[in-house]
Formats: sequence, structure tokens, C-alpha cells
Amino acid sequence: MTRVNLLLLVSVLLTALFLVHTQYESRRIFVELEKATSQGRKLDIDNETLQAEKRSQATPLRVDKLAKDKLQMVPASAAITQYVSYAPAAAALTAKP
Amino acid sequence: MSRSVRYSSSPLLASKTPVWRSKFIVAAIALGFAGLAARAAHIQIFGNEFFQRQGEVRFVRTLELPASRGRILDRNGLILASSIPAESIWAIPEDVVATKAQLVELGRLLEMPVETLEKRLADEDKTFVWLKRQVDESVAKQIAELNIKGVYQRKEYKRQYPDGEATAHVVGFANVENQGQEGMELTFNKELNGRAGSRRVIKDRLGRVVEDVREQVPPVEGKDLQLSIDSKVQFFAYQKLRDTVISFKAKAGSVVVLDAVTGEVLALANYPSYVPDKRKNLSGEQLRNRALTDTFEPGSTMKPITVAMALEAGRVTPQSIIETAPGRFNIGGFTISDTHNYGTLTVEGVIQKSSNVGALKIAQKMTPNEMWDTFTALGYGQKPQIQFPGAVTGRVRPWKTWRPVEQATMAYGYGLSASLFQMAHSYTAFAHDGRIIPLTMLKSTEPAVGVRVFSPENAHAVRRMLQMAAAPGGTGQLAQTVGYSVGGKSGTAHKQVGKGYASNKYRSWFTGMAPIETPRIIVAVMIDEPSNGQYFGGVVAAPVFSETVQQTLRMMGLPPDVAVKPQIVTSPVEESF
Repeated sequence: MTRVNLLLLVSVLLTALFLVHTQYESRRIFVELEKATSQGRKLDIDNETLQAEKRSQATPLRVDKLAKDKLQMVPASAAITQYVSYAPAAAALTAKP
Repeated sequence: MSRSVRYSSSPLLASKTPVWRSKFIVAAIALGFAGLAARAAHIQIFGNEFFQRQGEVRFVRTLELPASRGRILDRNGLILASSIPAESIWAIPEDVVATKAQLVELGRLLEMPVETLEKRLADEDKTFVWLKRQVDESVAKQIAELNIKGVYQRKEYKRQYPDGEATAHVVGFANVENQGQEGMELTFNKELNGRAGSRRVIKDRLGRVVEDVREQVPPVEGKDLQLSIDSKVQFFAYQKLRDTVISFKAKAGSVVVLDAVTGEVLALANYPSYVPDKRKNLSGEQLRNRALTDTFEPGSTMKPITVAMALEAGRVTPQSIIETAPGRFNIGGFTISDTHNYGTLTVEGVIQKSSNVGALKIAQKMTPNEMWDTFTALGYGQKPQIQFPGAVTGRVRPWKTWRPVEQATMAYGYGLSASLFQMAHSYTAFAHDGRIIPLTMLKSTEPAVGVRVFSPENAHAVRRMLQMAAAPGGTGQLAQTVGYSVGGKSGTAHKQVGKGYASNKYRSWFTGMAPIETPRIIVAVMIDEPSNGQYFGGVVAAPVFSETVQQTLRMMGLPPDVAVKPQIVTSPVEESF
């Protein structure tokens, strides 16, 4: 009888310790998950910020200014454009007077 | 004799212990245990709820999961507005400990005089004051490095508008609380904002989240909004408009570009405009979205509509003869006159030469009721069905109250009012083979289904007249483009000042479409009070139309529909030996 009781006592103690350990582990992992999630969010925000930045560097206003000032480009017009079309479109074009 | 103590035979031990004592001890211990058991039962069974709650109060926190505000994109997916994080600086006045030098530096970073800063921090009753909201990241970093006690930062989101003043009136802006105030930001505020979620968590001693208590309510992220606006077309139209307003010393101007097939608004620009990121010292002049909120008498741009309704009613044909000599006409005590005596004109010629007398004679073949019906069908005097705040209805009086002279003046665009947007909208009836189509600010790929107002033949006939008006011999020759056939009608209207018309204040219009056979776009231009001597719509507004059409069609990838004399110069290569 005593032996059974001892056995039970030991197993209770073991499972109790294991429970504590599991709880600890689960919290630790949870905290890590939290950290990863917030880092993910931060990266999302960074991405958004960079996208916005990229866009503000490539606004038509800026591109237009750089193209005109630095590269001496002019807006294209139909007069200085050579239009090429593939077969079906070309056929449609020639059909028109 | 010496006496020694015999410990083993202590008289105390030798005395007999009464039995009740051991029983008493056992009973006392049993009682103690019973007490503990009762307490345990009280805590775990009867008072459980109370203790659970107390535990939660101490460790469980509700966190808000903020939803990010959606972006506004143009039709090609380019960002017109997006939210980026920005720190806001706040302080607890009574906690602030700072040296004078630190305050001066802080004031410099916040762009705030030191006196103002000190005044704000002097109010010790307050436990919270904003110093400045949504500062730039670099500034926030510098402030953090100052390390002033009692000054804190809080992460917020700031709206950014990369296209600045070109799209300001369309996109609008949101305030520091991320609530839309103008334009699309206001109209679609709810959709853009989304809904914040929440989660219940347990926090440990150090404030770290260690466990979720129950399932979290995920935030509903704000939806991205894709507009029909093409940022390149928008930019180009805005730039051209700005240059024109400045060079003609005008007060203001607007331009609207519509897709004649889908009913999408490709561009809508006004000048003067503003930079949505910097909203200090904004004036109403800059904020006004003139294309939608200002109504004017459209002047001659109305004539094609008069002619179209007469064609539709079968009162005239394009070749009918209208006598406009001697260039003046008396009606109800008023004299209506043309700039020249055009003599005998065809209906086509009336449009081409923009004859007031011709237009009123055509209108006289109609009843007021018929005219009113067509105006209404074309959206005049009606609130535009557009997802935009502040669009006005304009004014068309009920036909029963029209006097004959009013019916006559309406034929050439006086006595009724409309916004530039309504004007452009009504022209979709000509561009879309007689059907007026609903307009949208959101991207759509489906061709629009319209309501028939004119027959396809009559719409075609009017388009031909518009083409003539924009061709040599017409009033809008400057609307011509290289490579694309255009048609359109210029208008020059005296501005109404008080009860009469100002003799020296004008509004210049041009509304037209291209390519004329199968129109893809409609462009409407309005320039308010050009004041350097030139004021005719055909001179002031038509060039804006021309350049906008040229660039828009080229960007849409439409091949030219008229023969182009190539200007590609290939210089001969000098061969060398």
C-alpha cells in the first residue's frame, strides 16, 4: 500500500513539474511568436513606407522635370512617332481610307 | 556531598500526561485543516468568479488592433494616397524636466517658438498635451535623442499624397485623425478606414504579452480604392491648365477628361490648387473643386445641344438654311447680335461660325417644353450622379416660366447654368452615339450603358459639325492636334456680376472630343477671367484641349486616325574614308 502511494506521489510531483515546464515553454514560444508578428507588421509598414517613397520619387512632375532639364527630352507627338502594328491591326488600318 | 541532576528522571517527564491533551492537539490540527479546506472551497467554488475577475483586472488587458487606412490608387495601380507611420510628440507638463538649451533645441525641431512651447508646458493642471502631431521620422529621432524627461512619442499614421497639387481636388485629404475631409477621401471614408479589431491578453510583470485569453477579433483592414483617374493624364492636364491660367493672367481654370466609352473620369484638375500634405494657410480659392462646384452660364458650348434637339425633333436638317442677316435680332425688347453679319448659313454653318442669331432661330422652332426635356435628359439642372462631395446641380428654370427671350438666350447658353463637369457629361451623348452615359470616379472596364437622347445619325451629324467648328474656318481651330481628328465647340461667356453682365470679364470654354469618328475621350476646359487681352474660348481654352487630347490619346496607345506628316529628321550621315 505504501509503495503504491509513494509511486502515486512521485508521479504527481513529476506531472506537476512537467506542467509547469510546459506552461513556461508555451509562454516563451508565445512571446517569440508575438515578437515575430510585430516584426512582420514592422516590415509591412516599412514596405508601405518605401513604396510611398518610391512613388514620390517617380511622380510625373519629377520625371517630367528631369527628362526635360537633364536629358533634354521633348514630349512625343504623333509627328515624331513611327507606328508599327501587327498583321490584323495593320489590315484594319489599310481597310480604312 | 555533591548533588547532581539526573536528567533521565526529570520529574516533568515522570509525570503522567493526561489523555485529553493529545486529543486536543489532534482536534486543533483537524480544525486548522478544516479551516483551510473551507477557505479553499470558498476561493475555488463559491467565490471563484470574484477572484477570477480580480486576477483579470491585474493581468488581462484589451489591446486594440488598429486597421490601416486603405490606399487610393490610380487606374494603373500607382499610389495617389497612402498611410505611413509618423511619430506624434506629447508631454506630461508637470513631469517635464528640461534645461533651457534643451527647450530651445526642441522648439527648433518642432518649428515652434520657445515661448509657445514654454506656455504649453506651463499648464500644470493638464496631464497630457500634444506638442506636435505627425512629425517626420528624422525629427522624431532627434527629439528622442534629446532625452527630455516627460516628453514622449506615440506612433500614428500620416497620409501621404505623392502627386501633390495635381490630384489634390480629386483625392482630397484626411485630417490628423485619419478622417477624410475632402474629395474621395471623404466620399469613401468608411470603406477606406476599415474597422479596428481587439484582443484580450495576459501581460506579465514586464508588460510582455504572454497569453491570449480568448479569441481575438481581427481588424477589418481598410480597402484600397482604385480610381478611374490616370495620374499621367491628370498631371499633364493640370500642368497645361496651370501654364495657361498663368500666361493668360486668368483667375482660375478647370479641365475634365472623360473616357467616352466607359464613362470613367480620366482626369479632373483645377487651378489654383494646393499641396494636400501642407495644409497651412489654405484659402477657399485653392480648395474649391471648380469643375464640380462652380456653375456658370455655358455660352456657345450649348449651341450643339440646341442643334441636336432640333435635329432630333425633325425641325431642321444639317443642310437647312438659316438666315442670320443682318447679324442682329430683336426679341421682347432685347437685341441679340453676332460678332459679324454671317448672312445665310446652313445649320452646320451656325455651329461652325457660332452664330447666336442662328442658334436662337433654330430654338424658335422648338417648344420650351421640348427644350426643357432635353436639357433635363442631358443632366442640366440635375445633381450629377457621381461619387463626389459637393457636386452642384446648376440651374434650369421650369419651362412654364420661360419668356420668349429666355428661350432664345438659352439656345446659346445664357439663362441657365451648369458646371464644367455637367457640360462634359452632356457631351457624352454626342460621343456615345446619342446615349448619355453615367460617369464614374472608380475604375471600370465595362463599356457604359447609356440612355438614348439622340439618334445615332443625329449624334453623328453633330459630331461632324463639331469637327467643322474645330477645323479651318471654325471658331476653334487651335484645338487641332497632330495625328488625331478632333471636334469641339468653343464658348466665351460674359461673367455675371450682380444683376447684369460685366463687359470686360469673360469665361472661356472649350468642350470637345477625339477621335471624331469613334470618340474615345471628351475633354472640357474652362478658363475663368483671362485678362491679358485675349478672351475667346477658341484662343484661350482650345490650346489646352488640343495638348490634353494629343497626350491622352498617345498615352492610351491609340494610333493616329489622320495622316501625319512625319517630322522625323534623319540627318545624312557623312561617310568618311
